[in-house]
Amino acid sequence: MIPLSHFLMISASLFCIGLYAVLTKKNAIQILIGIEFMINAAVLNFVAFGKFDKVNGGGQLFALFAIVLAAAGVAVALAIILNVYKHFKTIDPSKINKLKD
Amino acid sequence: MEEIELSGFVALISLLVILLPLFSFLLILAGRKGRGANLALITISISFILSVYLFFLIWNKQPIHYQIPWFLIGDIEFKAGVLLNNLSVLMMTLVSGISVLVHIYSRTYMKDDLNIHRYWAYLGLFCFSMLGLVISDNLLLIYLFWELVGFSSFLLIGFWYTKPLASRAAKKAFIMNRIGDIGFLIGIIIIFSQFRTLDIMALFGDIGLVKASLVDKGLWISASRQMPEAWLSIAGLAFFIGAMAKSAQFPLHTWLPDAMEGPTSVSSLIHAATMVAAGVFLIARVYPVFDPFVLNCMVFIGAFTAFMAATIALSQNDIKRILAYSTISQLGFMVMALGIGAYSESIFHLATHAFFKCLLFLGAGSVIHQLHHYRDVHSLDFDNQDIRIMGGLRKGMPITFIGMCLASAALIGLPLSSGYLSKDAILITAFEWAGSRDGIYKMIPYVMVITSWFTVFYISRLVFKVFFSTPKRMSREQANQIQDAPRQMSYVVLILAFFCLFFAFSFNPFSFESSWLWNGFSSNLFQNVKLYHWLLPLILNIGTVVLIFTTYRIYVKNDGISILEKNIFHRFFRQEWYLNELYSYFFTVPIEKFSRLCYWFDRNIIDALVLKSATLVSILSAITHWCDRILVDGFVNALGTCAKWIGYFSRNFQTGKLQHYLISMLLIVLSFFILTYFI
Amino acid sequence: MLSLLIFLPLIAALLILVLPSRFQQHYKYITLGVSVIQFVLSLFIYFKFNSSTFAAGIDKESQYQLLEKLPWIRLNLGNIGKLEIDYFLGIDGLSMPFLILSALVTFVATLASWEIKTKLKAYFSLFLLLNTAVIGVFCALDFFLFYIFYELMLLPLYFLIGIWGGIRREYAAIKFFLYTLFGSVFMLLVIIGLYFSVINPATGNHTFNMILMMDPANYADGSIFSAIADKNLFGISARLLAFIVLFVAFAIKVPIVPLHTWLPDAHVEAPTPISIILAGLLLKVGGYGMIRVCYSIFPDSAMLSAWWIGLIGVISIIYGALNALAQTDLKRLIAYSSVSHMGFVLLGIASSTTEGVSGAMLQMISHGGLSAMLFFLVGMIYERVQDREIANFSGLAEIMPQFTAFVIVAFFASLGLPGFSAFMAEAFTLIGAFTSEQVNGLIPRWMSLVASIGILLSAAYFLWTLQRMFFGQPRLKGAADWFSKLSDVNAREKLALIPLVALALALGIFPSLLFDKMNASVLAFVQLISG
Repeated sequence: MIPLSHFLMISASLFCIGLYAVLTKKNAIQILIGIEFMINAAVLNFVAFGKFDKVNGGGQLFALFAIVLAAAGVAVALAIILNVYKHFKTIDPSKINKLKD
Repeated sequence: MEEIELSGFVALISLLVILLPLFSFLLILAGRKGRGANLALITISISFILSVYLFFLIWNKQPIHYQIPWFLIGDIEFKAGVLLNNLSVLMMTLVSGISVLVHIYSRTYMKDDLNIHRYWAYLGLFCFSMLGLVISDNLLLIYLFWELVGFSSFLLIGFWYTKPLASRAAKKAFIMNRIGDIGFLIGIIIIFSQFRTLDIMALFGDIGLVKASLVDKGLWISASRQMPEAWLSIAGLAFFIGAMAKSAQFPLHTWLPDAMEGPTSVSSLIHAATMVAAGVFLIARVYPVFDPFVLNCMVFIGAFTAFMAATIALSQNDIKRILAYSTISQLGFMVMALGIGAYSESIFHLATHAFFKCLLFLGAGSVIHQLHHYRDVHSLDFDNQDIRIMGGLRKGMPITFIGMCLASAALIGLPLSSGYLSKDAILITAFEWAGSRDGIYKMIPYVMVITSWFTVFYISRLVFKVFFSTPKRMSREQANQIQDAPRQMSYVVLILAFFCLFFAFSFNPFSFESSWLWNGFSSNLFQNVKLYHWLLPLILNIGTVVLIFTTYRIYVKNDGISILEKNIFHRFFRQEWYLNELYSYFFTVPIEKFSRLCYWFDRNIIDALVLKSATLVSILSAITHWCDRILVDGFVNALGTCAKWIGYFSRNFQTGKLQHYLISMLLIVLSFFILTYFI
Repeated sequence: MLSLLIFLPLIAALLILVLPSRFQQHYKYITLGVSVIQFVLSLFIYFKFNSSTFAAGIDKESQYQLLEKLPWIRLNLGNIGKLEIDYFLGIDGLSMPFLILSALVTFVATLASWEIKTKLKAYFSLFLLLNTAVIGVFCALDFFLFYIFYELMLLPLYFLIGIWGGIRREYAAIKFFLYTLFGSVFMLLVIIGLYFSVINPATGNHTFNMILMMDPANYADGSIFSAIADKNLFGISARLLAFIVLFVAFAIKVPIVPLHTWLPDAHVEAPTPISIILAGLLLKVGGYGMIRVCYSIFPDSAMLSAWWIGLIGVISIIYGALNALAQTDLKRLIAYSSVSHMGFVLLGIASSTTEGVSGAMLQMISHGGLSAMLFFLVGMIYERVQDREIANFSGLAEIMPQFTAFVIVAFFASLGLPGFSAFMAEAFTLIGAFTSEQVNGLIPRWMSLVASIGILLSAAYFLWTLQRMFFGQPRLKGAADWFSKLSDVNAREKLALIPLVALALALGIFPSLLFDKMNASVLAFVQLISG
């Protein structure tokens, strides 16, 4: 039996990696990947904690729900990045600091 | 009732006497240029006639005193009025009479002057003020006229104001008289403050306040007030200083010789006969105020002036200057006489002197006038007032010659002349006075005798030089061509000559006691020493005759002039005892310098202090300004700067970069987390 | 009546401001008209004036004439009481003569204003404003109102000197303004102190009424200026300090040595009409203020300082005369002679005798006329050739005989020739100063004697000037050009000079014209101050 703490450690490392990516990367896609990392860390936690759930399968269900939402979010985010790229000819978020036009 | 009416009537007439010349002054000034001779003559003649009328009305009768309210100050009422007694009517007649003669004389003498109307007007003003002076009944009024006399004298001396000498002489005369005026004013102030009135009758009458006041334990006490005794003497001295300036007594006499820059007729009227007598008149009016100390001063100053002026007259060459100094000398006699108490003798001499000195001046005027005429006609160049170039005018100008001789005789005091009566009266009284005193007082009469011998010398020198000696710049024939002055002038000379003889004043040619004029005033105070009355005139006249003869030898025969003129005394006298230089050195120049110093002080100390304080204020303001900028404003600015820096700092948080926001968010969440769970 | 006199010029000033500039040649006639009306009014007041003992004025409100009393500012100040400032006018024998003098001097100054050629609108309106202020000062009986008029005089003068003056006009104007302001600012403190000390017995409020201030009974117990409490301030008696402050304020106006240095500069730089007003009226405000305010309100302190005031008077007389003797500029000479002549006023007031005070009053009126005349005469020369150095002229008598005649009259009148007013004034001042030792022991006798030397010196400087400038052969610096410019007196100038000559002569020969009118007041005044 794999103890819970292992799950949590992995998930925390995933989250930190994601967070690092979000805060430091100069590429929007990489940031998006970072976000996905963080979501998946959360999903991992859902699943790991699901064992202690009173209602069976609740954690898994929530994980599925989150995965779907993440997929949708990625689709939207990619679409935005594409548009941003079209507009600014870059996807480096530190250069995109003009909110109007 | 009748008395009041009479006095009112008399007052009216006397008012008319003084106002007529004033009208002439005003009308002539308002009138056209070069006119006014007739008007002036007519008004002064009417004045004269009225004066004579008043003279007969008042002389040796009850004095008339009439006054009207003038003004009120505090609770004291001032009155203006006329006081006619023997003294005033005598002076009034004398002044107006001589004025008439001088007016007649001037018609010819001043004929060619362009500004003649001013001359007549000024004469009118002079007559007005002089007549006003003699009839005024209170000291304030007398002072008023007293200065007006000085003012008209100023105008007349400076009549030819384009001549720098004349305008300077006029200024000098007025300022020196002003010194006297201030003395007079101080006298008035003291009297007023002591007695609360300035009325002459009330003050100096027989039962007047001055006589009623007494000196006790160092205090001078009057009915209402008292002050230290010294002020009585100061009052007396003050009045005396006033008289000194007007009557040209040493040391205030130097204006009179300079005043000869005016027309000769003016010198004759004002500076010989009338105005200069005002000082003597004043002393006579306020006589009771003088205490023995002041009287002694008077004696010494009078005697000294007489002596000094006579010595100066010995050495002068300008005919008018000789006469001027002679006037000063004679005035010294009068003042001395007043000092010894010989009141009536002094007034008597004043009257006779007025005539003969006026005549001497008019005679000199004729000579000057004719020489001037002669000089112009023959276009020669000489000083027509210098007796050294004159000579031999006896033949050509017999009337002037006779007149001058008679006047000189009177001045010398030869028997049968008027001067014999009055001058010997003074000398005799002086001896009588000295008889009761000792020490230095004994000297006085002898000094006077020597002075009167000096008088003999200088006046005979003048007459001999002008009429007898050989002329220097022309031949005798030429000198003979110089004719007597025109008729009007000559008549005046003759009329005056009449008054130089004894019978105008006394029936007895050898005794002044029988003179009506002398008897008109309070009589002798001294013990009558018979010896003096015949011995003194005898000695005097023997000396006189000797002297006249000597002078004749010297100046007509030309013996021994060089001895006389080449010694230190002659130079000293010639320079008029260096008094003018002395005054200039000790007074005029220092005052001028002192005034400059004052101005310097004013500019550089007082004003500089003001300006320095202004500078101080501006320095102070500069400091405040600095404080204001650096401290007060600096604090405000510092606040602003601080806010700015905070703004700059916090601005950095607003980068617009997503990741930065995220970091901040993370940090904040983390810090909250830490704060909540670990601290 | 008095309000009419005061505000007539103000109305005229407004009229001038409203009138368009194309009428500017008529402004002077409006001003002249105003001054003539004022003169007539003041003469009317003079003839109607009641000179009996029961109308003496001074410290009795009921005895003042032509009273006008309106409540002006009534502010409830809570527990301090009610502010009570009245519009309170009235005249007595000591202020009435100044009304005539003001009207006359203004008339002359207006005639002298013909020479002003620039900015006429401003000039004449300021001129009239000044006139309002001057007359206001002489009529005001409320200290607050008095102060307002007193300060109001400064403003127009500052501009009149500063704009129309000579070369160093700005310097002179600022000096004048600051100097006078210096005095009056401290006066304000005393006024406030007095306000809190004095209580109107009728209403129980504090008051600015000057007449009430003269009565020791009206002072509140323990108040700062109460004579009974006799409080100390900075180590000396508060009343004495207040007296000194007020005295200095007025003394600057008079002016006294050593506070006189604004005067020569202001006079020399001011245009002729303003010099006339300065010398003829402004200096008198100082003297009037001393009599009306300093002496009447603080008689006890005045008695204490009489010796010093007399001494200052004597010093002013001698010092001013000596300075005049040293001058080379005619106008400056006359300015210094003013210092000398005003010294007599001080001496007369200090003596506190009837003769002295009457003499001082007469001296003020007389000097008002004569200094106006002197400055007018100097202005005439200056107007013609723009020069007034004594050394640049000689023999003017030949060129301008009538002018010289006027100068001789003015000079001799000023140097105290009897028959002119100055003589009577100076003589009585000296008499008063001399008598003082016997009557009240305030001033020693020697002061009077020393002061009389001033008369001698005044003769010296006037006659010396006369001799240098007017006598002798004609010789001018500007040669032929000046000869043609120096025309004799014209009709307008005669019109201005003759009334002044008449005034001097009339007061000199009939001093009763003035003495009769003010005798009762002088007596009451002397009575008041000598307790």
